[in-house]
Amino acid sequence: MARLESRGVPGPIPACAGIGFRSVHHHELVAERPAVGWIEAHTENYFHEGGAAGRALERARANYPLSLHGVGLGLGSAEGVDREHLIRVKRAIARFEPALVSEHACWGRAGGEFFNDLLPLPYTDEAVELLARQVGEAQDFLGAPLLIENVSAYVSFEHSQLKEWEFLSAVAAISGCGLLLDVNNVYVSSKNLGFDAQAFIDGLPADRVGEIHLAGHAQSGNLLIDDHGSQVCEAVWQLYRYAVSRIGAVPTLIEWDTHIPALSTLVAESRRADAILGEVRGLAA
Amino acid sequence: MQSSEKYVASLREMQSAFAAALRDPAVACAVLPAENLSIYRNNAAVSFRVALEGSYPVVRRRVGDDYFRQLTWQYRERFPSRSGDLHWIGQDFPAFLFEHLQGSEYAWLADLARLEWARSQAAIAKVEPPMLADVLGRFAPGQLEHLVFGLQPSLQLIASDFPIFSVWLANQADNASPVDQSVGPECGMVRARSDLLEVRPLEPRLFSYLCALEAGAPLGEAVNTAGLDQSALVSALGFVFSEGLVSSVR
Repeated sequence: MARLESRGVPGPIPACAGIGFRSVHHHELVAERPAVGWIEAHTENYFHEGGAAGRALERARANYPLSLHGVGLGLGSAEGVDREHLIRVKRAIARFEPALVSEHACWGRAGGEFFNDLLPLPYTDEAVELLARQVGEAQDFLGAPLLIENVSAYVSFEHSQLKEWEFLSAVAAISGCGLLLDVNNVYVSSKNLGFDAQAFIDGLPADRVGEIHLAGHAQSGNLLIDDHGSQVCEAVWQLYRYAVSRIGAVPTLIEWDTHIPALSTLVAESRRADAILGEVRGLAA
Repeated sequence: MQSSEKYVASLREMQSAFAAALRDPAVACAVLPAENLSIYRNNAAVSFRVALEGSYPVVRRRVGDDYFRQLTWQYRERFPSRSGDLHWIGQDFPAFLFEHLQGSEYAWLADLARLEWARSQAAIAKVEPPMLADVLGRFAPGQLEHLVFGLQPSLQLIASDFPIFSVWLANQADNASPVDQSVGPECGMVRARSDLLEVRPLEPRLFSYLCALEAGAPLGEAVNTAGLDQSALVSALGFVFSEGLVSSVR
């Protein structure tokens, strides 16, 4: 696999705010080099040897630490993990040398069909065992630790035995993976399913949380829809402040996947996250 | 198991039931609230449709949004997603259109779809540094006809009984007038060049020559296959090098 001529910024991703690497911003990000701490790209968009997207990420990688965030592995699928997909993730890691690699606590295939969505898991002992095993196997194959993200949920399974935070904590303890805490997803799920969002955060092993996501959501009737298509709302900012006061400063991504605004808007959101992280560091000093 | 004990489905059973409920709203699934399954059902359908629209913008433009959505639903029933990578959603769409439209006046849409899929594939292929024509100076004249050219990985060669290149080029803007189908067969290439994708009709003999080269035929055999005279050979040879299509010579 071709190596970058200009090595990216070495070392771990700093405990500050980063932004998503979106195709509409590729040229501007490389040309203007806004002062954000790091960038995150969706792994599946960089599966292929060629393509303008890969070349753009190589150019951006020379200026920013990188996180690769996957959406298609379905590590909780009882039908198993697609080995070809895993191979492509490994190639992307080799090509772009991310400092963080992440995926989701979800499943995505059954009966030979892929649903290309982050489908919710039942919180059962069997699901803990399967997800932890497939996360562990993926980490071994990739040669990299994974951060596993909590997804937004619109349903709960009748057979669930555990709370979601108990489930994620068990998966992390067994597999050795880290956790990616999506604060917006916690908020959305807490409203949709009726649990205490702070209890969720309190229930996670703080030392396992390696990254935080912040995003916007939409309202549809009584439901919150996780569309990642707007600014972070005040309630989520407050929950984020609570999370970092408990967990400490960790790399925080402004995640905006739909109705993508100007790059300056993402940068402005990241500044607010940086301000909260700065306050937490000040209190901890 | 005592009859009073509640049966707990396995994880595989739960996911199979969930998937069945996504495919058919009439199927029950042990989740609450059940009506919210519609969100996941819609997510999967939208992801599939958006991916297909991204791969086939000209087919969509020609048939209109309503019919394209109908085709998408039927295509998904016949060829559900087989990958976590959305790029491959549209892989079987040309074959589906061929099945669906053969014998009709719209059969040409299947070939248009082949062209668009070729473009999708060219977009993800590696671009190799092009060889320059002066590389031929390294070989004795008697060796030239035995040379084998490696062509750019992104190069896709497409032939059709219909004027699909004219249709594609005409439909790069909205409200294009229909192309006269009596124009007849067309052939051409799709390839990536730096950050651009090129869609280009070709003269049939040049097309035949490129097909032979791509199949690994030595230069002399490719010339004979394409029926090129000396003048056409010089022109074709100039074309492959000036267009940066040659990535290796051996």
